[in-house]
Amino acid sequence: MKEPKIGVYICWCGTNISHMVDVKAITEEIGDMPNIKVSRNYKYMCSDPGQDLIISDIKKHKLNRIVVAACSPRIHELTFRKAIENAGLNPYLFEMANIREQVSWVHTDIEAATEKAKSLVIAAISKVTHHEELERRTVDINPATLIIGGGITGMTAALDIAESGFKVYLIERDNKLGGVVSKVDLTFPYMSSAQQLIKSLINKVSNNKNIEVFFNTKIKEINGYVGNFETKLKLQKKARELKFGNMILATGLKPTDPESIHEIGYGRLPDVVTALEFEQMLIKGNIKTKAGKEPNNILIVHCVGSRNEKYNPYCSRTCCMTALKYSNQIRSALPKTSIYHAYSDMRAFGKGCEEFYSQTGRKNAVFLMYDQKNDIPTLRRAGKNDRCNIIAHMYEKLSGEDIEIPADIVILMISMEAHENVKQVAHAAGVSICSNGFFMEKHPKLDPIATTTDGVYIAGTCQSPKDIPDSVSQARAAAARILTSISVGKVEIELTTAVVNEDICGACHTCINVCPYSAISFDEEKKVSVVNEVICKGCGTCSSACPTGAISARHFTDKQILSQIEGLLAVSNKLSEKLEMEEV
Amino acid sequence: MSYRVNSEFKSDLKKFGIAEQWNECFHCGNCTAVCPLTENGFLFPRQGIRVMQMGLKEKLATYVDPWLCYYCGECSETCPREANPAELMMTLRRYLTSVYDWTGLSKKIYTSKWWEFGSIIIIALLIIVGFLIYLPLKSGADAMVNQSGSVMINSLVEGISAGQFVRIIEIGDWTMAIIVAALLISNILNMFYKVILSDNAVKVPFGTYFTEFWRLIYNFATQAKFSKCDDRNYWVGHLLLMTGYSIMFALVVIALPLFQIEEIVPWYNWQRLLGYYATFGILFFLIQVTIGRIKKQDTKLKFSHPSDWLFIIMLALTTITGILVHIFRLNGMVEATYYLYIAHLAVLVPMIVIEVPFSKWSHLAYRPFAVYFSRLKKAAVKKIEYQRELAPAI
Repeated sequence: MKEPKIGVYICWCGTNISHMVDVKAITEEIGDMPNIKVSRNYKYMCSDPGQDLIISDIKKHKLNRIVVAACSPRIHELTFRKAIENAGLNPYLFEMANIREQVSWVHTDIEAATEKAKSLVIAAISKVTHHEELERRTVDINPATLIIGGGITGMTAALDIAESGFKVYLIERDNKLGGVVSKVDLTFPYMSSAQQLIKSLINKVSNNKNIEVFFNTKIKEINGYVGNFETKLKLQKKARELKFGNMILATGLKPTDPESIHEIGYGRLPDVVTALEFEQMLIKGNIKTKAGKEPNNILIVHCVGSRNEKYNPYCSRTCCMTALKYSNQIRSALPKTSIYHAYSDMRAFGKGCEEFYSQTGRKNAVFLMYDQKNDIPTLRRAGKNDRCNIIAHMYEKLSGEDIEIPADIVILMISMEAHENVKQVAHAAGVSICSNGFFMEKHPKLDPIATTTDGVYIAGTCQSPKDIPDSVSQARAAAARILTSISVGKVEIELTTAVVNEDICGACHTCINVCPYSAISFDEEKKVSVVNEVICKGCGTCSSACPTGAISARHFTDKQILSQIEGLLAVSNKLSEKLEMEEV
Repeated sequence: MSYRVNSEFKSDLKKFGIAEQWNECFHCGNCTAVCPLTENGFLFPRQGIRVMQMGLKEKLATYVDPWLCYYCGECSETCPREANPAELMMTLRRYLTSVYDWTGLSKKIYTSKWWEFGSIIIIALLIIVGFLIYLPLKSGADAMVNQSGSVMINSLVEGISAGQFVRIIEIGDWTMAIIVAALLISNILNMFYKVILSDNAVKVPFGTYFTEFWRLIYNFATQAKFSKCDDRNYWVGHLLLMTGYSIMFALVVIALPLFQIEEIVPWYNWQRLLGYYATFGILFFLIQVTIGRIKKQDTKLKFSHPSDWLFIIMLALTTITGILVHIFRLNGMVEATYYLYIAHLAVLVPMIVIEVPFSKWSHLAYRPFAVYFSRLKKAAVKKIEYQRELAPAI
């Protein structure tokens, strides 16, 4: 290893850091340490003059290691890596110390904060000393795309990609396309026909030569990595192997099982129906009780299974507006029928939805608020003198009264859950599932389409409950992302991955079992573990589990991390002694 | 006990009111917060809107709060949804009048113009026809002018003496007063049954009926609760009307032989002074509300139900005919005095017989009783809370 010549740069971040950390004192102190050729501080290291400072120092002083103490590496690690690369240095010979989020923003004592910042800088210096040069690599992208789920989301994405001239494999577990939207009569808030919408999409998909649809098919296993995935399908007649560069998961939703909510009487009382069952009545144009009578009173119970700790804590987002849609449809079909809504909060956030709510409110529907926390309306069979089929009891929150509601048909606005296949698909595609059972996105705000696995995108209600416009937006966004990657043609892969020292691998399979990304396989010939560097995220789980130390994480080797810890402790030992003194 | 909801109730209520924006209410509670009269236990008008939206008929019958509202209109001015809570309270008062009235006539009169105008016209015609047939103008009545030149009003009818005439009118007055009182009292008993007795949640301590009774008298005489509304002009006008009308009622029913006398006494005599005060009080109020209802700028006068206009018109006609009778008498115009006297009765009688027990004027009884009942309820609730405090903790 060449003799390290390290440049250290401490950022003020305007006053963000400098008001709490004595950056000048640290700069001076660091400058006296061995191997430090340059030690500077500057108002904004991320600015162009700041970066130029680093570049000119590298050229002038022949620096071969750089440390920047500034904000979180999440924000500017790539900025500085690029600057260093421009100066002709390998970008991995760089380390960042976070003295803003971890120091100046969270501490109030200048002296202690300065000590802590110093220890973080020294830790970074110790680590960067052991950094090695890593070479970047790219892989080609297969332009075909796999889409799992033939609902409105999957079909929309498929059409966008196929119409750009690329191959799409569309996997549908059912025997027909359309998903949940095909079971719906009209859409809110403009009351346009869902059937027309979905039928024209199905037509387009069926007639597009670039789209190959596989019905009654489930995905068991997907191998490969971004740009080069593959899967084997078991079809009725023969097996089929598909190769593709990207995939979209659009597995959709499953309505909550209404029988699991016993207060609500589904299955016990004949005229209690779910929203989707009521959609069938609407499609047939036949709103009747089980006994074949026209209902005089219809009760719509909102939030069944949603926003309730016992069932699903989240909001299913579409049920409020769907319930209003029913209100409108019932009002026009049965002008004399009384309509009651038992709701717990009305959420009308979509485009045109608040207007829809106000209009519906004027069409003689009664809105009754129940307290989701302790009192779901309970339903019982009506007596002879009640002149209706069902009586609902609830505490009405806004009036403070215990009330009973007469009903001939009760519609349950059942919550949306992720489809039951989610776990299987998540395992096959290597994506995570959030606490509510939906696919986990890469970033909830900045990247809700991608997942932590490159080349795997999620769209529609498999990510979270959504209405049609939101699902379609996500579908088209995912398609756009994939078309971008196809047009680039190549993808750069991260180098901070695990690597196996084949000489000392004991073939114990420990690493294969612990890898959360299924990135490690076993080479039966050589009897050693093999890391697929494209899939590996460099999380380091394998290297900490490996009993022989044969597997290590590049850029985070044991040596690098241990020296980082040593650097950290060198100062913090002093610091803790001082703090103890103060406490005494 | 739980109350049954009823989505049809709103359309039943529509006929009792003018504005129908109550569904706009999303229960922010601004109206309750801004109301100068709302207090713990009586959180109107928001609660009333809710009960109305849900159509809890049985609950509404026990609901005394609309009578505690004097329609200052601040809630409607503050309402961010323009749901018009003040007009709802007005509408509920009309509705409750029909609920308390056991004859069912009130509902018919409030919800049908045919019934409303028809009943008044029929009574007016009966008076006119009855008068012309049984109490016709005497031939040679032109001579019935006394020395000071004014008409001797009790001596204009054929075949009966002045004393007999006054007696006939007095008997008529008392008959009318007793019928109206009987109807009102039975309606108040009905209100008492609905508001206090049938509300299972309320058990009024017996002594409270007596200790709170003074409020009934006090509120009737002073309308103290009304005076707590921020705009007191309207309270002044209303107090003038109430005292003026009460005095006039006492003069023509209780003191008729002393009031309706053949001689026109000098202006400083008590009959004339009281009469002038009453006329002034009624006219003042009439002008105030007529201008207000035409201008429609003041929130409380913006929405006029047919029953509101009818009330003003009847009262104005009664007053104007009364004034004309007085003027014609002073100027010795015998025939004009006789016919205007008939016209005066033909407006006055239907106004009292229809308006007092069945329509807008019934509030003269319901309002003070509502204040009384609300105090009873509050005392009962206090007692329950007190007992709860005493109950041992489990």
